[in-house]
Amino acid sequence: MPGVEHCLQEAMAIPGAVGASIVDYTTGFPVATTGAAPNEDHEAAAAGTADVVQAAQSRSLFVSAVPHDLLEDLIITTAGGYHLLRLVRTDFDSRLVLYVWLDRVRGNLAVARRRMERLADELIST
Amino acid sequence: MKSPTSAAPGSLLTQAAGEGRTGALVVGGPPGGTLYLVDGRVTYAESAAAPGVGELLTASGRLAPRTWQAALDTATSQARVGRVLLEQGHITQGELELCVLGATYDAAYFALAPAAAPVNFLDGAAHWLGDVVRVDAAAVVRESRRRARLLDDIFPNVRIDTAAVTPVPRPPRERITVTAAQWELLVHADGQRTPADLALLLGRAGYATVQELRRLAALGLIESPGERVAGTEPAFARVPRARASAPQSTVASPATVPDGPTVPIVTRARPGLASGDPPREAEPGPAHRPPRLARRKPGAKLPKELISQPAPPHPGTDEVLLKRIRTALRALR
Repeated sequence: MPGVEHCLQEAMAIPGAVGASIVDYTTGFPVATTGAAPNEDHEAAAAGTADVVQAAQSRSLFVSAVPHDLLEDLIITTAGGYHLLRLVRTDFDSRLVLYVWLDRVRGNLAVARRRMERLADELIST
Repeated sequence: MKSPTSAAPGSLLTQAAGEGRTGALVVGGPPGGTLYLVDGRVTYAESAAAPGVGELLTASGRLAPRTWQAALDTATSQARVGRVLLEQGHITQGELELCVLGATYDAAYFALAPAAAPVNFLDGAAHWLGDVVRVDAAAVVRESRRRARLLDDIFPNVRIDTAAVTPVPRPPRERITVTAAQWELLVHADGQRTPADLALLLGRAGYATVQELRRLAALGLIESPGERVAGTEPAFARVPRARASAPQSTVASPATVPDGPTVPIVTRARPGLASGDPPREAEPGPAHRPPRLARRKPGAKLPKELISQPAPPHPGTDEVLLKRIRTALRALR
């Protein structure tokens, strides 16, 4: 059965992945990390991740008025890389997001997004 | 086992971790808490202010209370409750790890929050949950301090974290926006429940609850404890009738009892036909209450008009009471 470490290992196996973490987005705390982080600082990256998720979840145009139309993932692209954030929805109370940083040249956005969707699901279901 | 000494819990944790000790660091309250160490690394923490793994899993409905209880009965003595839940397939490794990590950092924040508290180290003590995760003690101490700073950035009033939560009777502006989590707190805050009560009732992390409450205080939607002095409430403040799960706040309730009687006291058998009295329904006051009856002789029958009326709907305090009893019973199990 996959645990948190296994999930992050699998995330690093996504083509082009250079770093991965699971972040508590209420506190901006990296619950688990592996590989590289932007500016080599997982904690700063987690704090930034939390800001982005909170902005998307609580403010303006991303907040859907349709019931159960919840935020799934956030994708940020830069000239050098892709930053993918996938919300991990546990039944018990938690506010977690799976974050994977991809190299722009080696990474494939569509593939990575599908793999992360599966990883987030596997982490919390049997 | 040493006698409790008053010290900074954080530095004692760092010290115990540095010595690679195994046991439990018990921090006196309130709220207090206990951090469990194995070979100098933190495996679990619990605090009265933070729901534990069992509360989180059962309050959310992820595990049936009897499933959790069965696991406790089987495995508490061998300290492998977590293992048993995994082996029986009730929960995945990922869920358990995330839940334990969340609960540990949550409880650690409350246990390590006081600058000085009676602290005791119980050598060799292990938690019944067993060894699910191990985290670096230094990371726990650092994160707890960071969380305290985050709260003060939102709204610097530590009394919010422990005082009973009272929503303001009237919002300070025309239009307000709250998140789902804030709504949940406002609906369940009744002027009696503390943040810890609300966290346990709703199965939400203690820190996340306090964080939302500080935000609500910053928005002016809950009373800031210590701010309001008794007797300064405006006499005209009217509290809306109790919603199903949020009975009237105790702070504001004296204001709803004006000097004169606002409910017409009926002295004749047939209400509504008291022709001399001006109609007083328009006056402000508790709205849906049936007219108070004149005193009757023991055993006398009610006026016919009133017998035919259906009983007024119960304002819903029963539900609140039942929920509280359920929570209390769960805590006992």
